[in-house]
Formats: sequence, C-alpha cells, structure tokens
Amino acid sequence: MSHVAKIELEIKSLEALIQACRRLGFEFVRDQKTYQWYGRWMGDYPLPEGITTDQLGACDHAIKVPGCTYEIGVVKRNSSYTLLWDSWESALRLKIGQDAGVIKQAYTVEAVKQDAKLKGYRVIEKKTDTAIRLVLSR
Amino acid sequence: MQEIIIDISSDGEITIESRGFKGKACLKETQFVKDLLGHELASQLTPAYYETNKKSIKRYLKLCG
Repeated sequence: MSHVAKIELEIKSLEALIQACRRLGFEFVRDQKTYQWYGRWMGDYPLPEGITTDQLGACDHAIKVPGCTYEIGVVKRNSSYTLLWDSWESALRLKIGQDAGVIKQAYTVEAVKQDAKLKGYRVIEKKTDTAIRLVLSR
Repeated sequence: MQEIIIDISSDGEITIESRGFKGKACLKETQFVKDLLGHELASQLTPAYYETNKKSIKRYLKLCG
C-alpha cells in the first residue's frame, strides 16, 4: 500500500448520473424543472450548502424513483450538480439511503468505470453487503 | 502489481488506496480519480511511499592487494 485517501464526492458528470439511475432502476428525466416534494420547508433537515428555501422545488433535471411519490431534483451549480429531495417520505428515504448514499455510490462506480477505461485501466467490480469495491489495474 | 482500489460504501463514503506503487508515483496515479470524484478530505501515506524505484548500487573499493 502506498497511500490511502478519503474523498468528498462532487457530482460533475451528468452522463455518469444518468448511468447511475439506470443501474438503480430509477428514471432520469432531463429538463424537468420542478420535482415533487411536500412544498413547504418544515425545517426538519439541514439545507444543502448554498441552497435557500426559495430554491426548493426547482431543478434542472429530476429523478423519479419507482414506488415513491416524491422525486429528486438535480440542480446545476457552477461545474457540479446538487441533489435535492424531501426526506419526509420514508419510501424514498429507504430507496436512496441516508444522504442519498445509494445514488452517490452508483454515481461513483459509473464515473470511475467510464473514466478509468478511457485511461487504459482494467476495472474489476466486487460487491460486498454494504460496499462496492473497484480495482483498477493496467 | 500496481493497483488503485476504490471502496464506496452505501452511505456514499469513498476511500482510495494505491497499492504497489513506490514513491510519489502513487499520488500521481490516483490524482485522476480524485479530480474526477471531488476533493480529498484526508490522506495517509504508508511506508511504501517513502521507497523509490531507484536501485541502490553498492560499490566496493579494494582496500588491499
């Protein structure tokens, strides 16, 4: 082992996000400008950094999750995308996980696979109960 | 064997490990993954980081004869 690093994810590739939705069986709806939510912020969860209550409900694209009424908004901010959703709906919470971790996991896998292959790496994907491991070699 | 190992937990936590690289090559090889995914929160260098690919050459000087 040479070094270990922890990374905070930024969603930069819309293509990888679309692939992630496909992988999870979610529907990515391009150019949908609003997403379904309660409609009024109740102050029961922290807002993402840089997002105000006025911006809730508006988005650039949306993600529909089967079996859920509420949707996920995809908001473009500078060079990255922020996900907005109302965690009140338990079905949505269960499907996307804490802090949308399930989507972030799928996005990371798709983004790395796409880019690593372009750079000539061989990519092997291994699944465990709670994690996905990607092994890049060449 | 040189490998980059990326573990992604279901809560979205990402850990990158480089294995089999010596010296600063590990940082260079993993940089594209870090740039692709976001930014580095923390990193820890391991003993292999301080090794280099240069082979040490032992020179013996004849002391007598």
